Formats: sequence, C-alpha cells, structure tokens
Amino acid sequence: MTFVESIGSFLQQNSLYIVLIIVLVVWLGIFSYLAVLDNRLKRIERNEEIEK
Amino acid sequence: MSFVIVAGFCFPIVPVPAHWYQFPLIPGLEEKARIIFFHVPTAWLTVIAFFFSTYFSAKYLRNKDWQDDIKAYASAQIGMVFCILATITGSVWAKFNWGSFWNWDPRETSIFALLLIYGALFALRSALDNEEKRAQLSAVYNLISFITVPFFIFIMPRIMTGLHPGSAGDEGGSGPIVNFKMNGNMRIIFFASLIAFTILYYWIYQISSRTLILIEKNNRKLIEE
Repeated sequence: MTFVESIGSFLQQNSLYIVLIIVLVVWLGIFSYLAVLDNRLKRIERNEEIEK
Repeated sequence: MSFVIVAGFCFPIVPVPAHWYQFPLIPGLEEKARIIFFHVPTAWLTVIAFFFSTYFSAKYLRNKDWQDDIKAYASAQIGMVFCILATITGSVWAKFNWGSFWNWDPRETSIFALLLIYGALFALRSALDNEEKRAQLSAVYNLISFITVPFFIFIMPRIMTGLHPGSAGDEGGSGPIVNFKMNGNMRIIFFASLIAFTILYYWIYQISSRTLILIEKNNRKLIEE
C-alpha cells in the first residue's frame, strides 16, 4: 500500500478529518488574501517614504 | 466564529438527537455533514460579495465617483476568493463522497461557469489602461454578470438532477437542505455560521477597499505633482 493509498483509506474511515482539511483550506484562502492586503499596505508605506 | 468552529467540530452526531448539542444523522453524509458549517457559508459569501460589487457598480454608473468603482473591485475580489474556496472545498468533499475530485455535477458545472464569468471581469480590468474606460466597462460587465449569479447558485443546481444535497434528484425532495434535513440545533449553528462569515466579509471588505482607495489617492497625488 502506498503512502497516498493509506492516507486515502485513513480519511475514508475517519471522515471527520475531511472536515478538518476543508476548514484548513478555507483558512488558507482567507490567510492568502490577507497576505495580498499586507503587500498593498507595504506599497503605500513605500510611497510615503519616497515622498519624504 | 470560534463558537461555530468548535460547535461544528465537536457536537456528536446521533441518530435521534435528544440534547441541544447533538446533530441528527443524515444518511450518506454522516460526519461529513459538518462541512455545511464551512463550505456553504463560502458559497453564501460569494453571492453577498458579488451582490455588493454590483451595487457599487450601479452606484458608479449613476454618480461617476471613482471610489465606488474601487469598492466594486474590492468586493468582487473577495467574491472571487470565496468562489475559489467553495470550489476547492466542494471538490475535496466530492472526492470522499462521490469518489472523484471533479465529475461535472450540475453544481460543479455552475460554479465553474461562475468562476469563468468573474475571471473574465478581472481579465477585462487588467486589459484596459484608461481608468475611466476601465471603470465604466467593468461596471457594465459586472451588472450583466450578476444576473447569472442567482441562476447558477440557486436555480440551476435545484432544477437538475445531481449528486449535490438539495438537487432535484435528492431523496426527500428538492429544495434547500436547511428545511428538511437539519434539526433546530443544527440550523442555529448553521445560521450563526452564515452571520459570522458575513461579518468576516464586511471586515475584510472594509480593509481591502480602504487600502485600494489609499493607493489610488497616492497615485493621483503623484500624477498631479
């Protein structure tokens, strides 16, 4: 049994972990959008430094 | 939000719920039924975000205020993020419930079409250099594309037979799953989850649109100088 297969069968038996994966995916999405926002704020800060 | 996550995870699923903290057993879903507290709100936020995006687009077309265009853009971005999230979480769930990540169920097809339609909005925005033209064209496109949203999210998956819970072929009749399979406790947590996600959307939207407006103001100042 390969690693992927064993993970698959583990998830089939413990489907609560599928919910865990899904919540993690949602969290990753929100987190990456926040990272994008952070980059934008950095751009504003850089612009202000240039003006000074 | 935290309460929803904790409750969604930990409340036991029993065949006959007797206490307020127990969920009913839904045949064919079992433990996986819990994703309704996380997957459905993402789809719900897609609709909300696209709705507000359209609202600001219409406002832009009336007042020609560039801030409204930026707000519409920020909201459409969040809608897109949550649309992608709904697709990914749905496909992870489909892998274990239906056997494959993607099998062109009506629900999957409709959300894919929605992704394409709104993907085109961002392509349109990045393709135009002239600011006024970009704002006008994307506002008009946004108005037209929102007409398809209720059809793709609410109508099409319900009138066609499919595997997704709530579609026409589902046992117990078609319609929102909220009405016929969830009991009171589950419904309370489900709606709490919807409200929590909506507040989260509003917060992210505020941060995002304010940042974008600041950038735009800076750019204009630089151009004037």
